[in-house]
Amino acid sequence: MIKGEQRQAIEDLVYRSCLALDARDYKTFLSLCDPEFRYTVTTHSPEIRRDMVWLDHDRKGMETLFANLPKHNSDHSPITRHATVYTVDAARDAAEVVSAIQVFRTQLDGGATELFAVGRFHDTVKLADGVARLARRIVRLETRQLGYGYHVPF
Amino acid sequence: MSKNAAQWSAPPKFPASHYVDSRIYTDQQIFDEEKEKLFRPAWIIACHESELQAPYDYRLFTHPAGVPLIIVRGDDRKVRAFYNICPHRGNTILYDPAGNAKRMTCIFHQWAFDTRGTCVEITRGEQGYQDRFCKEDASMREVRCEVAFGGFVWVNVTDDAPALREFIGGAMDILEPYMEQPMEVFHFHKALVRTNFKLWHDTNSEFYHDFLHYFNRITGMMQPGYYERRYTPFANGHASVGSMQIQYDKYDGSKERAVGWPGMARGGWYMVDLFPGMTYNLRTSVMRIDTSVPISPNEVLIEFRGLGLKSDSAEERAQRVFDHNMIWGPFGRNLHEDLLGVTGQGRALRQGTDSRYLLHGREENNTIHDEVGMRHYYAEWSRRMGRAAYDPYREGKAEPVRAAA
Repeated sequence: MIKGEQRQAIEDLVYRSCLALDARDYKTFLSLCDPEFRYTVTTHSPEIRRDMVWLDHDRKGMETLFANLPKHNSDHSPITRHATVYTVDAARDAAEVVSAIQVFRTQLDGGATELFAVGRFHDTVKLADGVARLARRIVRLETRQLGYGYHVPF
Repeated sequence: MSKNAAQWSAPPKFPASHYVDSRIYTDQQIFDEEKEKLFRPAWIIACHESELQAPYDYRLFTHPAGVPLIIVRGDDRKVRAFYNICPHRGNTILYDPAGNAKRMTCIFHQWAFDTRGTCVEITRGEQGYQDRFCKEDASMREVRCEVAFGGFVWVNVTDDAPALREFIGGAMDILEPYMEQPMEVFHFHKALVRTNFKLWHDTNSEFYHDFLHYFNRITGMMQPGYYERRYTPFANGHASVGSMQIQYDKYDGSKERAVGWPGMARGGWYMVDLFPGMTYNLRTSVMRIDTSVPISPNEVLIEFRGLGLKSDSAEERAQRVFDHNMIWGPFGRNLHEDLLGVTGQGRALRQGTDSRYLLHGREENNTIHDEVGMRHYYAEWSRRMGRAAYDPYREGKAEPVRAAA
């Protein structure tokens, strides 16, 4: 059975990861991640009846993706990640965490907000010395129509 | 020096073939005519044969002219296409976008059809119709359908349109040597974009906008051979673009594409733009296919497919997926930029903005920054529409005047 403070630390990690990415504070986001961190966006296509991978990077790949962002032409509308931690299944030094995630996009001109995407985070969290670190994040998207897309991972 | 209203409205100092009137992107009447005159007679890619692997596998597709279609592999393994409209009361027959259906049964009154379009069940038929109407009278509407050019399923909703090979002509010659091995779709997504469908095809038809893409500037524009890539126009508005060697390792986070493509030089890149709104895009190591479905003058639904080889090992497929996603996935570096670009055009060109002309005036001996691809497209557009793209309302004026709102 997971201890209350462990669950608190894990939930705190998930929410802080959202806050950091919302703020485009990639340094802080990466500080929450394990050196072996890996990030993947997946979804299922009922049209071609296949699971698909839409993004897949190790920690170095994420660092490079973030570093390259200023060189690209991107939609600058901010997005807001709303996560709710549903389940935490912990072993001694790791936990499997499932969270619901909704992503909202707010237009810069006028501030209208629209629902951008829904899905789940399937996180693997490493626990050591009372500190929780993201070792693996699989973003399982339900939404597959993302309009003109986005350069920043969810 | 900036322009006043009269100067802004004056036609460009180019031949009329080198610009278009921006109203062709916004006018509802022109849009309605395009669906009838461009899309309805054209051969259109509906899906790929790998989406219909087993007998009775089906796939739904909304034809750009508006017709809902079922593409189905029969018990004889032949792929056929039918209207997804029940001949009884006009209901949708199949609802899920893909599946396997030995019988295609309308949920409304349980009329059922086999994969050859034959009606095999009319519930309580004799009681209701006696001998006035029977299953033979209730067949599905079949649409011409061929599997060709890399295993893609092509449909044509017009009975008397020219054959597919005649429609394509020599446009696919540049790609056919690289499509001899069976391919398989591994990626599919749709993007609903607020722009005119032609603006998306324009983007696929000109490489001058490589300036938009940091990835392309660094891996292509700055590399030897870039400015030698050539456009080749073909009959019926199609065009192809020749290859060069892309230096994928010049982009931080990318690397030379380790997984090749049969017969293709490492780092090669070929494109074929097919009238009125499809594109084959083969970069080592992935094939991408765009199919545009126009929704309204300022809205297009684009279907994107990514394909590898059916013979791929798990490692090869994973690498192709990575290569695809790097630039062409919904989070990819280039696709987002391209879609953002045409969305900006849609915003600036919508009715009432006083946009007047779009320039297609670059001439560079048909090489990569020449705008001959778009000029060639609009020559065909004008021929089929019976309207000049530079003067769509036949105003015949040096300074075209806007139609009343």
